[in-house]
Amino acid sequence: MTDTSDQPRRVGVVSSAQTPWRQAWSGAQHIDLISSAVHRALEGSGLRIEDVDFVIDSGSDVLDGRSISNCGFLGAMGAHHKEESRVEDDGLWAALYGVNKIASGAADVGLIIAYAKPSEAEIDLFHSTIADPFCQRPVGLDEATANGLIAQQYLQRHRLGEEVLARITAQAWSRAAAAGKLDGKAPGVDEILASPMAASPLRQAMMARPVDGAVAIVLAGESVARRASRCPVWVTGMGASMDSGNFARREPGLPACTAAARRALDRAGARGNAAGIVEMSATSAATELLTLEALGVAEAGAAADAYLDTGVRRINPSGGALPAYPVFATGLVRLAEASDRLVAGEGNGQALVHATSGLGAQSHCVFVIES
Amino acid sequence: MNHVAIAGVGQTHHQRRRSDVNVPGLAREAAQRALDDAGLTMEDIDSVIVASGPVLFAAVNEPEKWLVDALGARGKPVVRITSGGGTGFAGALAGYYQVAGGFADRVLVVAYDKLSEGALQYSISSLYDPFWGRDFAVGIMGFSAAYWRARMDALGHTEEAAARVVVKNLANARRNPYAHVRKDVTIEDVLKSPPLAWPIKLLDVPPISDGAAAVVLTTEKLAAKSKAPPAIIRGMAYCAEADNAPMRSMLMSEPLAHAARTVYRAAGITSPRRQLDVFEVQEPYSCFELSYYESLGLCAPGGAAELIASGATQIDGDIPVNPSGGCLGANPIGASGLIRLIEAALQVTGRAGDHQVPGARLAGAQTGGGWANLRGLAVVSSD
Repeated sequence: MTDTSDQPRRVGVVSSAQTPWRQAWSGAQHIDLISSAVHRALEGSGLRIEDVDFVIDSGSDVLDGRSISNCGFLGAMGAHHKEESRVEDDGLWAALYGVNKIASGAADVGLIIAYAKPSEAEIDLFHSTIADPFCQRPVGLDEATANGLIAQQYLQRHRLGEEVLARITAQAWSRAAAAGKLDGKAPGVDEILASPMAASPLRQAMMARPVDGAVAIVLAGESVARRASRCPVWVTGMGASMDSGNFARREPGLPACTAAARRALDRAGARGNAAGIVEMSATSAATELLTLEALGVAEAGAAADAYLDTGVRRINPSGGALPAYPVFATGLVRLAEASDRLVAGEGNGQALVHATSGLGAQSHCVFVIES
Repeated sequence: MNHVAIAGVGQTHHQRRRSDVNVPGLAREAAQRALDDAGLTMEDIDSVIVASGPVLFAAVNEPEKWLVDALGARGKPVVRITSGGGTGFAGALAGYYQVAGGFADRVLVVAYDKLSEGALQYSISSLYDPFWGRDFAVGIMGFSAAYWRARMDALGHTEEAAARVVVKNLANARRNPYAHVRKDVTIEDVLKSPPLAWPIKLLDVPPISDGAAAVVLTTEKLAAKSKAPPAIIRGMAYCAEADNAPMRSMLMSEPLAHAARTVYRAAGITSPRRQLDVFEVQEPYSCFELSYYESLGLCAPGGAAELIASGATQIDGDIPVNPSGGCLGANPIGASGLIRLIEAALQVTGRAGDHQVPGARLAGAQTGGGWANLRGLAVVSSD
């Protein structure tokens, strides 16, 4: 199995599966959601659990309310007597680990798993705990207030009104509905603007909606990928970058996101960002816009136009994270969605996939994938 | 496949309580020592891996988002790996693949735990929830005692065998400037110490420590330019066993045997006791060191009590185990697995000081975590 060549091997996404994303999966435990995603991801590939060399999973002890929570899910993840590791960050960082492991030649097939069940936790408190060490006391800074500050700065700089955030939100939900991914009804612009204030200018409906569920992705080295999939999607570039923990010290415009995208695109040998499909993550309509600009998908202040224009490239055709934010699984869902669309022949054969984590989009991970 | 080298190592002088630094200060101390050892600065580092025990240990959520500034890593890829007690080792493994897979040329891996700041056994107890569906204040000790008791019943091993591990490791810890337990104990002292969860007694238990450890991992080619003599990683794996307790062997660590098979194959080792010069193992309680002997192939299954009694694993024996004193000398849990790797690297590069095993060229570093179901092994060499 060990490869003797010095060059990193090509790694492909062979298949993926997601549970439906729901506000609350009250009738299913974590292990039920995880095993369902794992089972169906393998089912689509012709590979069996015995063919999987390793499992890398992502999740949060704090969200799960349990130390070393991966240990409780090893059976459901199919990790018994396999190599396993836990990345406590968004699942796209788990995929980055898996790609490296296969690229090194040490393994052929890896299973990447991410899940979340925020319905069993207090999600606002979860976000507040991330801010605790920065502030050394519970000052109430959380994801909504951090995004509110970012939104104010963005709207003022570009002389935009709050309705642009409402239009983005409405569009995200209607795309999710069109993609058959909603367990409820998509709200309209008026309804969004009438929802209670979360952190001015952000209304509650403009914040990403936490959902329960699980996602699993099968990665494989080139030779296995070609056998297991009629159309493998290749990971051609990866980049990541984390900004300062000090929220007030960060430069505006998510420079860490730009740095992550630049690394990924450079690695893919891409001149500029021409990906036909962009699947990106955000915790509010405001960071959704900032992220598009930081990724180089839109000019400064023009993200809303790029987002709403469905002509040239498709931005978050799945609806993205606003209607469905499974916390630590959000970025891995983006990889699954973008891969599915490349397999279906959509776009120009290249997609940009983005994940973020930390308070107010502190850390970023970007993949370039190609069919 | 590209080989990966350990180009620099650093650790703190571990203590029961470090009230002079906070968590980022502690992590930075080890990171700076590893960079100095490698003759590098943060400018040279492409990517950073942070590893710590379960976040409930120090009650800080997503601590890497806090550490990034103290480490000087702003703008770099930073990610945290957590895999129970073996997390420091698991972090190094993630860094190993970042180098081997071509994502980064130089990776800084920083592992720490500041156990004086959290409720350790309470945090560990929360991992039993999935078994029982409720809070079950058992910590990890009762569970470990059951493992030791099973081996005593089935193999006829005695409490004395585990006591010999304590006496050996504490004597070795006296030679290690980074260990903080300074105790001369006899077998009699261990046997007479108060039982906490019989057969585990007070002196069978490692200390609770504040400490951090760091390594710089690079390609073999870059390591040749390193200031410190590099140690080459010949094989490395971290394996899991699912949680269904009735299926699990109480006598042998199957995930460790699995990891050992993988790593020995990669490193070309067919007779571990003869070929390897020294082992560092992560013993959360003295009794676990014994079961590791068997899973690592240092003796036949069931032969651990005889092996420790023979003196073979003493620092002057034919296969010394834990010349650093192991976890019994210092146990900042999240860092402990990485400390084992660092100690193995120091041994094969002849830099282990007073606890150097003369002429060591090939060393094993073992790790473990979870509820005794996550086990790893690395083999490092001087060339």
